[in-house]
Amino acid sequence: MATSVFIGSWIAAGLTLFMFSFLYKDNPFFRFGEHLYVGISMGYTIVRIHYDVMVKSLYSPVAQEGKWWLLIPALLGLLILTRFLPRVSWLSRIAFAVIVGFGSGVAIPRIISSNILQQVQGTLKPILSAGQHPFGLAQFNILLILVGVITVLVYFFFSIEHKGVIQIAARTGIYFLMVYFGAAFGYTVMARMSLVIGRFDDLILFSSRDYAYASLVLLVLVSLGLVLWERGERRARTPPH
Amino acid sequence: MRDLAAKLLRLDRRAIFVLIAVATLIPLLYPIGLPIRVSSEVKRVYDHIESLPAGSVFLLSLDFDPASKPELYPMAVALLTHAFKRDLRVVAMTLWVTGTGMAEKVVSGVASDYGKRRGLDYTFLGYSPGGSNVIINMGQDLNAAFPTDHYGERTADLEVLRGVRSLRQVNYMVSLAAGTPGVESWYVYGKEKYGFELGGGVTAVIAPGLYPFLDTGQINGLIGGLRGAAEYEILIGMKGKAVAGMDAQSATHFIIIGLILLCNLFYLLAPRTVVRSFDRAQDGPGSPQEVRR
Repeated sequence: MATSVFIGSWIAAGLTLFMFSFLYKDNPFFRFGEHLYVGISMGYTIVRIHYDVMVKSLYSPVAQEGKWWLLIPALLGLLILTRFLPRVSWLSRIAFAVIVGFGSGVAIPRIISSNILQQVQGTLKPILSAGQHPFGLAQFNILLILVGVITVLVYFFFSIEHKGVIQIAARTGIYFLMVYFGAAFGYTVMARMSLVIGRFDDLILFSSRDYAYASLVLLVLVSLGLVLWERGERRARTPPH
Repeated sequence: MRDLAAKLLRLDRRAIFVLIAVATLIPLLYPIGLPIRVSSEVKRVYDHIESLPAGSVFLLSLDFDPASKPELYPMAVALLTHAFKRDLRVVAMTLWVTGTGMAEKVVSGVASDYGKRRGLDYTFLGYSPGGSNVIINMGQDLNAAFPTDHYGERTADLEVLRGVRSLRQVNYMVSLAAGTPGVESWYVYGKEKYGFELGGGVTAVIAPGLYPFLDTGQINGLIGGLRGAAEYEILIGMKGKAVAGMDAQSATHFIIIGLILLCNLFYLLAPRTVVRSFDRAQDGPGSPQEVRR
């Protein structure tokens, strides 16, 4: 095994245990891991942005291929930095205007088309198609979607008082929303458990002989560290006699 | 009974953490092999790749970072394995800067397992800034969006990209996404205009929000979470990390369902005064005081 992989496994196992130590309570191990994560992810992002954006997408095309027009967006980007200079900070508005104008122009028609028109089209499917059974599961699904969409829309329609038929429809809409929230929460639990499984999977791997029992050794060390820290905290909280 | 219910409602939350940890660890150490049923949305992604003739262009965008690795990494391995087995031309990329290194590792790792050569059978384009603008740019001119691949080779010279000038020449595209930019961006800014077939592989958190896109045919298939990855592994006959994790997933779900039912039962059984006293929580775990600390 390569030395880098071995050292990496010890660091990975140690930092995983540091982060899991928060389940006991907030402690210095967790805070160390948390700050390290923020710092490293930021450092990694800066390095990649430097290489992928500044070098690959700007410096090389301009200096080697003579694509001088790329200096225009670069200049607009630099204008955003004038926010830090109060006397010329107004210049940053030019860049923001371009970003907002371009972003809205690109996004609005596409979003309307795919997130509204096509979704409406999907909701208004014909219930009966040639060759299909009139009381099949597909028909039931189409009706269910139609009723769900209409009743949820009624629930969010506040211009008329929710009374009588409108109240029944709004209540039905609430039940549809509840089902969605339940499904979304169930999926969220599944996602979080997957993350736990992923870390445990690595911890099990690193607890093998090949990795010099990294997970087990570090688990003992972190536990010992937490005990010592807890004792120190208690001593600090105890008033002197 | 009412006192016991009140006591259990005040149970230290760390007991639940230990319970979940045990429920996760035991099936990982001693797999049970619970059956995994393949859903139609996952099967559709598989079927589409199966239907592609050898040499078709398969674009895989790994739009996630290490935080979503347990769910999306096995998906990436399974999809790449399938694509390489089918001798597709694989073009990989990422719209997430923090996922660049991990994406490169999985693409080159699976490619080397199948003896595929970089530049000839596959390439990793790397990261390009701009999110949805990159998709639009790729739709107009792929070489302009990525003048060079991740390794510094000119994309115009790559054999794997021969005849591929834009997204219009892509036969199938799958976005493995943990958020935005992701599947929705690929649909809104890519598929609708440039007309390629699109599939999605996403974390379980964002999967429910994409089912309406599946229903309307805006995406042709959806692989959701670790379960989706396990289903795909079953389809390609590979027992990978996702299948191995499904027993633990089922065990933890069982524990959580049990705890929800028990908590509701204890809530109904406990005296009203005890239930109300939770609002005036003490200094214990989970209390506002502890959160502030």
